Amino acid sequence: MEVIRNIFDLSDIPRKDLTVFGIFSLFLLIFPLIPHSSFAMATMIEFLMFSLYGMGWNTIGGYGGQVDLGKAQYAGIGAFTTAVMLIHWNIPFWISAPVGMIFAIIWSFAIGYPLFRMRGHYFAIATIATSLVLLDVFQSWNFVGAAKGLELPLKSMPSLLYLQFRSDTYYYYILLFLFFFGFFYINWFRKSRLGFQLRAIKDNEEVARSLGINVHWCKIKTYAIATSFVAVVGSFHACYNFNIDPEDIMSLDLSILIAMMAMVGGAGSLWGPIIGAAVLIPLKSYLGSWLGGKEGLAGLDLVIYALIIMIIAAFEPRGIWGIVEKARKRGKI
Amino acid sequence: MSAILQVQGVTKDFGGLRANDNISFSVEKGELLGLIGPNGAGKSTLFNCIAGVHPVTAGRIFFEGKEITNLKPHQVARLGLARTFQIFVASGDLSVLENIMVGSFLRTRSRKIARQKAEEILVFMELQEHVDQWVSELPVAAQKRVAMATALATQPRMLLLDEVAAGLNPTEIDQMMGLIRQIHDDRGITVVLIEHVMELVMNLSQRVIVLESGKIIAEGKPEAIKQNPEVIKAYLGERYVAKIAEAEGKA
Repeated sequence: MEVIRNIFDLSDIPRKDLTVFGIFSLFLLIFPLIPHSSFAMATMIEFLMFSLYGMGWNTIGGYGGQVDLGKAQYAGIGAFTTAVMLIHWNIPFWISAPVGMIFAIIWSFAIGYPLFRMRGHYFAIATIATSLVLLDVFQSWNFVGAAKGLELPLKSMPSLLYLQFRSDTYYYYILLFLFFFGFFYINWFRKSRLGFQLRAIKDNEEVARSLGINVHWCKIKTYAIATSFVAVVGSFHACYNFNIDPEDIMSLDLSILIAMMAMVGGAGSLWGPIIGAAVLIPLKSYLGSWLGGKEGLAGLDLVIYALIIMIIAAFEPRGIWGIVEKARKRGKI
Repeated sequence: MSAILQVQGVTKDFGGLRANDNISFSVEKGELLGLIGPNGAGKSTLFNCIAGVHPVTAGRIFFEGKEITNLKPHQVARLGLARTFQIFVASGDLSVLENIMVGSFLRTRSRKIARQKAEEILVFMELQEHVDQWVSELPVAAQKRVAMATALATQPRMLLLDEVAAGLNPTEIDQMMGLIRQIHDDRGITVVLIEHVMELVMNLSQRVIVLESGKIIAEGKPEAIKQNPEVIKAYLGERYVAKIAEAEGKA
């Protein structure tokens, strides 16, 4: 079974990296057992969610080099599918999440087909536009609660089926499972045929075409993969937060934050989104609480993100991981 | 012998500029053909029309009897017609071996098979010492060999090489000549060369076609082409003619 071997094949990764990742994984596994505040737990859950968002974004944005700033629309499709199916038909998460994923993929084909005729900045701008259009649609669509969104009915008993728990620890472990699933999927993806073709496209589209690669179709396929990740996390978000509104789950802020995980951590690398989320989410979370939430300084975190993006764009386009790799080449690490 | 490639009356206009003007020729299966001509003669445009990069303005192109006129580049590549580019740009996201694997993935989904195939071609193209380097770090000669190796990895039956000897030193040109000969003789691949390095093209080609201002002005064996006064004037230019005259004057 070559595929199974390839999923777990980390042989091209330096031992040092694997050791660090191993220790970090162990920490993630035992974190709920260590005494912690509920705030720390909420931050860790957000870290895992954004790692997964980032892993998804990293396929098309990192390996494929197509900067996508409209991922929130797919998080919204996932979240609202799960919410609507639960409210109207009492359908559990484990069915509604894949259905949401399928809806999101269908939408991604409709969006991706025309959008991938564009390149670079034009593509990025177009993704923002489509996401905002869908946000507007959801805000005026009564079936999905319009602007005030939806509230998920609380089950009388905690339920794995409906992903409703009284303690965050259960949510944490469900996400952690998805995290490792996502990690090994990306590990397979980056060296699959599609992964290779995508990296060749990022290098030079004309050369990629001459090697028999259908560039347009490759991008659309990868876009659908990125979308699947985002939609599932969106579905999870609905169950975890119990209440979703379009302004929150489909906002431009979320789209940009998703893109930032991999961009800050290191676009096009296996570790990038994880590093990005590990740096940005605690920063966002603690900065938010320190600034006292909505008191006048509410926009300051966005200012800080903007600064980070500028610094990265100016000095190290490959993000934190790029800095590590450069230092490694000079023999410092 | 049968024709593997037939070009029938291909014309290509860029706005008001006619880059290729009613060009017709065919390439026999197993042939090694040289395509020469001064800068701007339309050689690369012709390659691009054959490979599907540019749609033709008029004319038809057949590969192995199948019409490939205005197919997309990836469709042409899948049919077994590969090409290299004059300028091979690689931003450095892929190592040498990975680059070649991109080519071999055209014929397989399996990473293992793609890798084996790529490793075989890596050795064949004398790139062992560069296996894990980034393409952008390599000297020009090695970059050209990577481009050829990647094209070869798609397992073509015909290969279009665009100025693979440009910028190489004499030793590297010798090596390149040996490699092209092996691609043609040992692998049985039909080769068409665009080349400015006369030593290479005259030594290798079984037949040479000369383009000037988008038209074919001569066609024949290398020896005959070298003697053809029209070619000497058009291609080698007044300066060359003057040089000969000067040399004869001194003698």
